[in-house]
Amino acid sequence: MDPILDLREVSKVYGSGETAVQALTGATLQVRAGEVVLVEGPSGSGKTTLLSIMGCLMKPTAGQVMVKGRDIVQLKERDMPQVRAGTFGFIFQGFNLFPALTALENVAVTIRMKDPRARKVHVEAARLLGLVGLGDRMHHLPADLSGGQKQRVAIARALACSPPVILGDEPTAALDSKTGLAVMKLLQSLAREEGRAVVVVTHDHRLEQFSDRVIRVEDGTVLSDRPSLAPEPHGRSGPTNPAVAIRTGLEVGRNERQ
Amino acid sequence: MWTLARKILVHDKIKFAVAGAGVSMSVLLVLLQVGLYLGFMENTSNLIDHSTADIWVTGEGNENFDFAGPVSERYFYRVASMPGVERAERVLLAFGMWKLASGGSQGVEVMGLQRDAQLLAPWNIVGGDARRISEANGIVIDQSEFPKLGVGGLGESHEITGVRSRVVGLTDGIRSFTTSPFVFTNFDTAHAYTGMEPDTVTYVLVRAAPGADVAALAARIGEIPNLDAYTRAAFSARSRDYWSSRTGVGTGFFMTAVMGILVGLVVVGQILYSGTLEHLKEYGTLKAMGASNGAIVRVIVYQALIAAVVGYVVGGIMAFGGREAVKAANLTVVLSTDLLAGTAVLTVGMCTVAAMLAIIKVIRLDPASVFK
Repeated sequence: MDPILDLREVSKVYGSGETAVQALTGATLQVRAGEVVLVEGPSGSGKTTLLSIMGCLMKPTAGQVMVKGRDIVQLKERDMPQVRAGTFGFIFQGFNLFPALTALENVAVTIRMKDPRARKVHVEAARLLGLVGLGDRMHHLPADLSGGQKQRVAIARALACSPPVILGDEPTAALDSKTGLAVMKLLQSLAREEGRAVVVVTHDHRLEQFSDRVIRVEDGTVLSDRPSLAPEPHGRSGPTNPAVAIRTGLEVGRNERQ
Repeated sequence: MWTLARKILVHDKIKFAVAGAGVSMSVLLVLLQVGLYLGFMENTSNLIDHSTADIWVTGEGNENFDFAGPVSERYFYRVASMPGVERAERVLLAFGMWKLASGGSQGVEVMGLQRDAQLLAPWNIVGGDARRISEANGIVIDQSEFPKLGVGGLGESHEITGVRSRVVGLTDGIRSFTTSPFVFTNFDTAHAYTGMEPDTVTYVLVRAAPGADVAALAARIGEIPNLDAYTRAAFSARSRDYWSSRTGVGTGFFMTAVMGILVGLVVVGQILYSGTLEHLKEYGTLKAMGASNGAIVRVIVYQALIAAVVGYVVGGIMAFGGREAVKAANLTVVLSTDLLAGTAVLTVGMCTVAAMLAIIKVIRLDPASVFK
């Protein structure tokens, strides 16, 4: 199966000259439909930069980012929103829901924003809320919902216009453990039943049970990419799962295997 | 998008109230100031505008309707005899002193009209008979000036510059820009009330013969030494221009109106900007998911338009209320269709400009910032 996301030798440098910060170095990875990928690593390791580049929110300083076979690095900035609209849904730790809008309206607005020509927007929004188990809370404001329910609304919003990839930035961090696991289970079922690729940045190792692969990022390099619940490789020994192509900056220098 | 804009704006009721109040006050200030200005300007030329004369002739160099100097009556005959003049009438306009019951006096603008006047007469008659100014000492005054003149009603006798007068007619809404009440009387009595020489006139009103070129006729009359002649429209504009630009009255009114607009700009701008800052995460999320800048800018512009409409309606209602309230002070606020339409456009423009900072903020918003 062709990957939806294909990052090759991706590097990112913030700033220039003496103040330049190397945020990501030579990251190579692929994400395919239907899989759940966790991205782990300490704070400041480059996870968010990796997620931003995967989500076409920023372009890398070097390397290739193929989205559904199209190199987005070559695209003009003005074409990026269209790529994002057709490819990604995002979920955040802080939910980022409009407090003035009901759950239904939050989802509907996103559908309308992503596709101004969309029809029966509220019907589709209601369907998505039903999909995440909030059919009976769709007319509630975010303030009247629990944290888990808010994140479900955010997930329904991320599903607006059926993006093939869902990117989550610590989507369970603001939730209690039970609710967090339930949200992760929901994301897993979306991957399994709807064939979406789900990439989640997290610090929570317990989420691994709901994922297929775990990518570890440290100091701006992809340290490992292993199947879930497989043992963590020690040190910077390279990827443990050759089936999922990954290449770290260190490996480029000492090992050309892929 | 309208729903999103409206709900974001209305969600914080206090902020929405402040935004609405800001626009309303701005609209109120603009309407009242410009309306008052138009009212004053109307007063500066209302006698000219209500005349049916084609041409107004006055002494050379007179710049102001109310303070025109007299010329000899022989100029009247010279003008009346010119080819192209169908009818000419003498008018005397000068100040007299109205004696108050308290013992003090009040300046009045005495307008002396020929007994057979056809080209200018008091209008909006609400009592008595204006034609009776042809009677000796008969006067017509505006009922809004009763308090100022100490008049109780028709038939009362008063004294102007030591000469007896009797109220034979009442008008409504004929007021002078100088704040000295108009007193209409006949041409001869006017001389007595003002102490002017009997063979003097202030204006000669001219009706051009059918088919005559009015502008050309005015130019020919203006060639007579010591006289200036203007078409009615030109003289009206000259009179308004004098008060508006030479005295700084116009600048004063418009400065206040501009202040109103600035207040509206600042208030609405601040509300929209702070509202946008509060929702940066949400806007960033939408941008991250592919919403175009245009779509998000529309939400902010719609908020500005909603604030504009609400503020305009409330401010407009307040302005109409204000117009009624200041009537008691003999002030005229002209809320013309043009002014209302112009203010509506101005309000929309003001709110849209006020939204610019917020718009720039979301356009520059990096969607990757949602992860920070």
